[in-house]
Amino acid sequence: MNKNRSMFLISGLAFGFAFLYIPILSLIIFSFNESKLVTVWAGFSTKWYGELLRNEQILDAAWLSIRIAVINACFAVALGTLAGFALARLGRFRGRTLLTGMVTAPLVMPEVITGLSLLLLFVAMQDLIGWPAGRGVTTITIAHITFSMAYVAIIIQSRLSSVDESVEEAALDLGARPAKVFFLITLPIIAPALISGWLLSFTMSLDDLVIASFVSGPGSSTLPMVVFSKVRLGVSPEINALATIIVLLVAVGITIAGITLNRQEKRRQRDMQMAVAANE
Amino acid sequence: MQKSLKTTLVAAAVGALLATSVSAEEEKVLNVYNWSDYIAEDTIANFEKETGIKVNYDVFDSNEVLEAKLLAGGSGYDIVVPSGSFMERQIQAGIFRKLDKDKLKNYGNLDKTILEGVSLHDPGNEHAIPYMWGTTGFGYNVKKVEEIMPGAPVDSWDLMFNPDVVAKFKDCGVTFLDAPTEALSNVLGYLGRDPNSNEKEDLAAFEEHMLKIRPYIKYFHSSQNINDLANGEICVAMGWSGDMLIARDRADEAEQGVEIAYTIPKEGAVIWFDMMAIPSDAPHPENAHKFLDYIMEPQVVADISNYVFYANANTAATEYVEGEVKEDPGIYPSDEVKAKLFPDLAEDPKFTRQLTRSWTRIKTGQ
Repeated sequence: MNKNRSMFLISGLAFGFAFLYIPILSLIIFSFNESKLVTVWAGFSTKWYGELLRNEQILDAAWLSIRIAVINACFAVALGTLAGFALARLGRFRGRTLLTGMVTAPLVMPEVITGLSLLLLFVAMQDLIGWPAGRGVTTITIAHITFSMAYVAIIIQSRLSSVDESVEEAALDLGARPAKVFFLITLPIIAPALISGWLLSFTMSLDDLVIASFVSGPGSSTLPMVVFSKVRLGVSPEINALATIIVLLVAVGITIAGITLNRQEKRRQRDMQMAVAANE
Repeated sequence: MQKSLKTTLVAAAVGALLATSVSAEEEKVLNVYNWSDYIAEDTIANFEKETGIKVNYDVFDSNEVLEAKLLAGGSGYDIVVPSGSFMERQIQAGIFRKLDKDKLKNYGNLDKTILEGVSLHDPGNEHAIPYMWGTTGFGYNVKKVEEIMPGAPVDSWDLMFNPDVVAKFKDCGVTFLDAPTEALSNVLGYLGRDPNSNEKEDLAAFEEHMLKIRPYIKYFHSSQNINDLANGEICVAMGWSGDMLIARDRADEAEQGVEIAYTIPKEGAVIWFDMMAIPSDAPHPENAHKFLDYIMEPQVVADISNYVFYANANTAATEYVEGEVKEDPGIYPSDEVKAKLFPDLAEDPKFTRQLTRSWTRIKTGQ
């Protein structure tokens, strides 16, 4: 009985992982394909990596996307944390329901609507106050911050509501000013949420096609835009090569983040045990 | 004395202002928005070297994306490349600036016949120059078609539009472009009607005919056909000339024994033009004119044709186009075939609505 169940669980797990990872695996394998056709195997070759390194259009776009994603993630974490903190810690205040609604709206808003409304806003602002002058990297970044920040706010809010408020109150009792409490107590406690919020914003910005294509301007083609416009003529294996490199980088990044978080968590638990022991 | 000093100062200030405003207008930047993979690898670099103008080169993948940007206004682009029928509507919306032909010394190189065709979209050729042009015919898998039906009518729309013939290729795979206006023009041409009709009666005839061949059509898609043809997954595909020739080359490269050919059917087919135009709010119109003039230089545009496998509309360039491209009847058809081609004009809005509904019924097969 028990063995049967474990067989079922294991095959379920295997099927689930296969479903998730076989497409990525085949993408990686075909990046080493000799042929230009993505679906026909014609022998091993690394020539597409060479082609990729010579393709300035793709490399420029990749670099631009990464820059936008980093700036976006930093701003989104800063603003999202403030919003999340307000929602979790400030109790009942006038307009709280409104704020909650407005913070969560970008999560459920279809991208097309977000993109179009931002585009119209930017055009109107340019006519009225002359900023932002034309569309480009700035407008894409602003647009990305708009929706990323909502995700961060939700993450931070849920993390904060699971943290014991008495720790912060104790610090206040001992004479720390609220700002000091925030930076010395609250921030370290929610650090894992900050990191995952940053990574999530980074990924979503790197991934976004719809909103970016609405608010982009001359000289600001992001990587998804370039890749998508190439699909018209069939995907070339260069894209596979690029995707393989990205998968590799992401895997390394996630592993490092995972290990760091794990260590922090262990140290925190050890500290807490020591604190409890010292009290007794 | 003092008064005159004041006047001088004011004059100097005004002069300085004027000078800066002029130099701002001549800023050495140009923003180009073109189709993906639609220019030779070194064209932009050479233009930058020759003129010292820095080019921001962006790409799009559909006319709709371009149109959305243009209609929103203030797109920031100086050169855009819409297709003929889209440009026709955009001109009516006042999106483009009139070309200053005095600044285009190479304008005389353009093909008069093509210009005449284009003038149906853009009366008097006032707003744009033809960049590349091609046809909407069909590509087919030579061996499989011969195997299934020896002596098949591969030079005629019969292969796709004759219900008795197309039925034979059902299992092998027949595909259409998801482009209602082009399908309409081709089918109406085949039925001996006016390809650019706006009549309800012609639309009904089109729908009736399409429903007859609908059971044998595998899918409607505008880009998937390239790889599917090259991989041998489909037999006959209505497609744009350049795409079908890309499929042919991919099939050759893959060496899987697939051979693809492209036909401009003898009944005539849609000819389309991709046009280069300058938006009316372009920030650098001077540089845009320089770019247009550069593109019309015979050697430059011939290099582009050699790279993208589309015919250009430049008579003087033909001698620089490689034989492989120039002698391919799929790219540079004979004058006799050329005479039978018809442009795909923009329909009136009411007819477009009816066509869209009819196309949906055809695609869903009801």
